[in-house]
Amino acid sequence: MAGELSGLLDQARQDAGLSHGELWLRYFELGGMSSALQVEAYLYGALLPSDHDYDVVAHALNERFVELGGNHPVAYSDSQTVTEDEGAES
Amino acid sequence: MSSSSLSVNEGLVAFASGIPLPADGAPASVIDQDVPGAGRPPVPLSGATGGITPADPLAGFGATIAFAGNQAVLGVVGQVDLVSAPELAAVLNAVIDLGHATVVLDLAGTDFMGAAGLEIIATTGSRLRSTGGQLTIRSPSALVRRMLDVTGLTELISLEPTGPVEGHLGPEQTVAVPGLPVVMAPAIQAEQWRRVTAMPADLDVLDGALRLVVALAQATVSGADGVSVSLQRHGRLATVAASDQTVSDMDADQYATGEGPCVDASVEGRWFHAESLDQETRWPSFTPRARKLGISAILSHPLLADDRPVGALNIYSRTAVAFAPKEQELAAIFATEASLILRDAGADVSDEQLSGRLGEALRRRHIIAQAQGVVMERDGVSEDAAYTRLRNFSRRSDRPLHEWAADVVGSTRREAPWLEN
Repeated sequence: MAGELSGLLDQARQDAGLSHGELWLRYFELGGMSSALQVEAYLYGALLPSDHDYDVVAHALNERFVELGGNHPVAYSDSQTVTEDEGAES
Repeated sequence: MSSSSLSVNEGLVAFASGIPLPADGAPASVIDQDVPGAGRPPVPLSGATGGITPADPLAGFGATIAFAGNQAVLGVVGQVDLVSAPELAAVLNAVIDLGHATVVLDLAGTDFMGAAGLEIIATTGSRLRSTGGQLTIRSPSALVRRMLDVTGLTELISLEPTGPVEGHLGPEQTVAVPGLPVVMAPAIQAEQWRRVTAMPADLDVLDGALRLVVALAQATVSGADGVSVSLQRHGRLATVAASDQTVSDMDADQYATGEGPCVDASVEGRWFHAESLDQETRWPSFTPRARKLGISAILSHPLLADDRPVGALNIYSRTAVAFAPKEQELAAIFATEASLILRDAGADVSDEQLSGRLGEALRRRHIIAQAQGVVMERDGVSEDAAYTRLRNFSRRSDRPLHEWAADVVGSTRREAPWLEN
C-alpha cells in the first residue's frame, strides 16, 4: 500500500511548500526513525517505506496542509480515502 | 517547481478528490508528448506550459527518447544545470515508471553538466540498481567522466564511452582557452540563480552541493591535491566539506593557530595565495605544520554572502608554485559558485534558527513518545496501534499530533498526581 502511494508524496511535499530538510524535521518530530536521505528516497520511490513510516510522512504533510488551511489530503496507508471523516480508528 | 509539475491548486485538488495520480503523474504528460517520436528532434521539456521566450532559463534544453525493447535511450540536449536538472529527473523517473529498467543517458549533446546533474545520475543509478535495472552513461565528456570517478558514481552506473576522442576535455573546459577571460560559461547565469533563490534552504542539500563543488574544483584545477570549504558556523570556522583527511587536518591547524590563508581569507574577504610555503613568512605558527603534512602551496578564496566573508574555498598542493594564473581564476570561479549556493541557502536558515527548530522537534518527539506509552499502557495495544490512535485523534480534530500528545500526557498527570513527585 505504502509503495503504491509513495510516488505521490514528493508532489505533496512540493504542494505543501516544504523543503526535503523541513519535511524530514517534521517527520522526525512525529517520531520517525529514518534518516533524511531515507525519507527523501521514500518520496522518490527509490526506497519502500514501511506502512508506519509512510504514515508518519503522510501525517507530517497533512499537518502542514492543515496549517495552510487545508484538510488532510494525503491518504494514509490504511485508507485509500482522503476525506478526514473516514478515519481508521479502531 | 518545474514548469511541467502540477500547480499547487491542481495538486491539492488531485489529492482531495481521492483519485490517485499515476506515479509521478506530472512528468508522464511530458512522456505522452515525447514517446511516439522516438529519435525525432528534441522537444523542449518546458513546452507543456507555453512557448520558450528568450528569458526562459530552460531555453535550449531538451531531450530525445528512443525505446528498444526494455531499454530506453534518453538523449540530453543543452545544459544540465540547477534549472534543467529537475526536468531531466522528471523525465528519467517517468521513463522508469513506464517500466524501463535499463536506461541509457546519452550526454553527447550536452554542453554542460553541473553538480545537480550528477546528483540525478546518483539518484537514478541507485533507483535502477535497487530494482535490478541499470543506468548507463553514454558519451560523457572527459570532465564528467572524471567527476563520476571522483564521486564514486561509477560504482552505481555503467559507462559507455563512445564519442569523445582521446584527450577531449569537454565543452566545460572552455575555461582553459588561452588568452581569453576565464568564464565558466553556462554554469553561473544570473537568471538561473534567481530561480534557485526561490527554493527553500536545506542544509543537507547545501552540504551536498558544497561537497560537489569541492570535488569539481579538485577535478578541474590542475595541481590541486586537496580542496576544502570552511564556513563560519556557531561563530567560528569549521570545515564543512573536504576532499580528504589531510585537508581537514590542514584546516584544523589553521583554526587552532588562528592563522593561515584560510583564516585570513575568511576574515578579510580577499584571496590569499601561498605560492611556496618554503618562502612563506606570513603565518609562522601554521606554516611549519603545513609543511610537515607535505603541503607546499595554498590558495584560499573567500566565500561571500551579501558581500560579507563567511568562509573560504581552500585549495592545497604538494607542489610549490602549482597555481598558475589560470588555476587562480578557476579557483575564483568555484569560490563564486560556492558563495552563490551559500547565499541562496543561508538567506533562509541560520544556525541559531536551525538549532532552535531542532530543539523544539526533539521536545515534541519526546512528548509524542510519552503519549504513545500512555496509550499502550491504558488501552493494552501495540506501539504502532497506539501511534495510529493518536494520529487519528490529530487527524479528526485538525490539531497537531504533539498537542494531542501533550493533552494525553497531561491527563495522566491529573489522574495520577503522585507521578509528579
